[in-house]
Amino acid sequence: MKPVKIAMMGMTHGHTRKYYQTLIENQKLDWVASCAQDEEAKKVYELYQTGVPCYLDPEAMLAEHPEIEAVVIASANDQHFKDMEFCAKRGIHILSMKIPTFDMDEYDAMIEMVDKAGIICQIELEMHYNPVVKRLQKLITDGKLGKLLSVQATNITLSPVWAFPWQGSPEASYGKRVQLSADDHRFRGGALCDHPHIFDLIRWLTGSSFESVFAQAAPNLRRELEVEDMVLAAGKMQDGTAFLFDPSWSRLEERLKVPGPGWELFPKRMEVNLTITGEKGMIQCDCFGPNVYHNGAPNDRYTVQYTYFDEWIGLIDEFVDCIRNHKQPKINLKWHRETIACMNGCYESIRSGQAVKLG
Amino acid sequence: MIEQMNKSLDFLRDKYGFPQGNISAGQEFFMLKDADGSTYELLPYRIERRFSELKKMIDSNTLEDVSTLRFAKFTSGITMKKLLAEQLDLAEFIAGSPIIRGFASGDGENVCNVIVRFANSISASIECGTKLPANATVLDRHEIIARRGVGCDRGVDTQIPQHSIYLWNDEGKQEYTDVDTELFGLPDEVIWNVRAACALLKEPVLKKLWHEAASRSLKLAEAAIASARTNTPVTTGEF
Repeated sequence: MKPVKIAMMGMTHGHTRKYYQTLIENQKLDWVASCAQDEEAKKVYELYQTGVPCYLDPEAMLAEHPEIEAVVIASANDQHFKDMEFCAKRGIHILSMKIPTFDMDEYDAMIEMVDKAGIICQIELEMHYNPVVKRLQKLITDGKLGKLLSVQATNITLSPVWAFPWQGSPEASYGKRVQLSADDHRFRGGALCDHPHIFDLIRWLTGSSFESVFAQAAPNLRRELEVEDMVLAAGKMQDGTAFLFDPSWSRLEERLKVPGPGWELFPKRMEVNLTITGEKGMIQCDCFGPNVYHNGAPNDRYTVQYTYFDEWIGLIDEFVDCIRNHKQPKINLKWHRETIACMNGCYESIRSGQAVKLG
Repeated sequence: MIEQMNKSLDFLRDKYGFPQGNISAGQEFFMLKDADGSTYELLPYRIERRFSELKKMIDSNTLEDVSTLRFAKFTSGITMKKLLAEQLDLAEFIAGSPIIRGFASGDGENVCNVIVRFANSISASIECGTKLPANATVLDRHEIIARRGVGCDRGVDTQIPQHSIYLWNDEGKQEYTDVDTELFGLPDEVIWNVRAACALLKEPVLKKLWHEAASRSLKLAEAAIASARTNTPVTTGEF
């Protein structure tokens, strides 16, 4: 198979660095260029010494590398439409970050744009390529739990805002400045926007759609933020499955400009755990464990050192397969729309104080 | 199992462009046969992720000035010699230094407790047993104690290995720990031997190192068993 000539754009998203090893090692790819949003993003990119040239202007990158077939759009949420438009107009396939946009009109315009261009647009929801999630899906599909009754899930992390400031900006993260509620002067765009995975996973595990959702924001752990950092959501799927989600930034962090050792204050900086009850039994699941542990440098704090972070391998494999064999990715814009709509439903529930009907 | 290993190896070779090679069963280790017909021992624990990460803790100075390693492994269906060879080689690999002295207690068949010293003066204890019931999950622990920090593959306040998934239903309790999406569903022994074969194909410089380490590990294991039987320490010359 001819390797896909690929590039990265933006380089400001928190997941940017996670692609480097896969793009370099996978024989089905030829990573030819990167394009940073600004000088600062370029400087951080250069710390990783990938050997791949970095530009500051997408047009200049394409002029030098007209062979580019696909782009990983690794930019802030409010840049995605512009970046997608750039690619779609040129027939370049797209790997989009986990939140294409929260503006549903803009979202529909993205779908139309991609359809019209006849390109692949895969959404980065890497949990689908996690081996523990794969086992979880298999156990449920094999009927080990019977009909699902309830799913409780955490997608809790430290806050990346100090390294990726756009994630603390209502405009850059949510797309506009929307107050949480009449008596809550924080804005949409915080932890909830960072954590779509569990909203997506429950749709895969149940094969059902959202019926309704209720959400509540708690006092922030980080008083400086103008976006929410603690939030809970509960609701029902159309098949009756109840859920309770915690998509918070509930693990405090050192305020590093560039992520690295010692980032976490709490030992485990990122967790996706699920408790699932079915008519025939129960499952407890830790998607990122077990690991190894230490209390050494740089801060002498008890720390989880992760032993598995290879989700990007499977994700990129699927992307290449879809491009070369003209397949539709599992997580495409149309599939993902309902997940984004439910996350917007959470914000609407926080505003109204009521459960929001989705189905 | 060999067929499963070679099918998986072919898949990864094709994907990552590694040269020709296949896996066969050796007397003590699975072996990689490369394109020119040479065979090399596979040391799967050297590329198992938890051990790579533990070693990285030392190499990156997350742990500074290591004093002691505390290893343990209790299992079944394996000879004490093979079990000791694996754990002693893993200890040398993580310590980054050869063992120069050892003393062991136990019957050398079912149980063996070893204390060793490395050339870099680090100490290690290695507790081994082969009497775990055949259907029980392997019990093991690998701890590194340093002046700055302790590293371990087991969490604080856990006596037994943890798993990613626990399932309770009418069939009882089941546990799953999956670590490899590309080789999903295969037994750990298959996964880590295939990954070890990939490591040798990708980095040929490892072939000679692993061959020598495998041979040395068996001598270390024999020396430990001899020590247990004679109640006498053994030193470098005897390895």
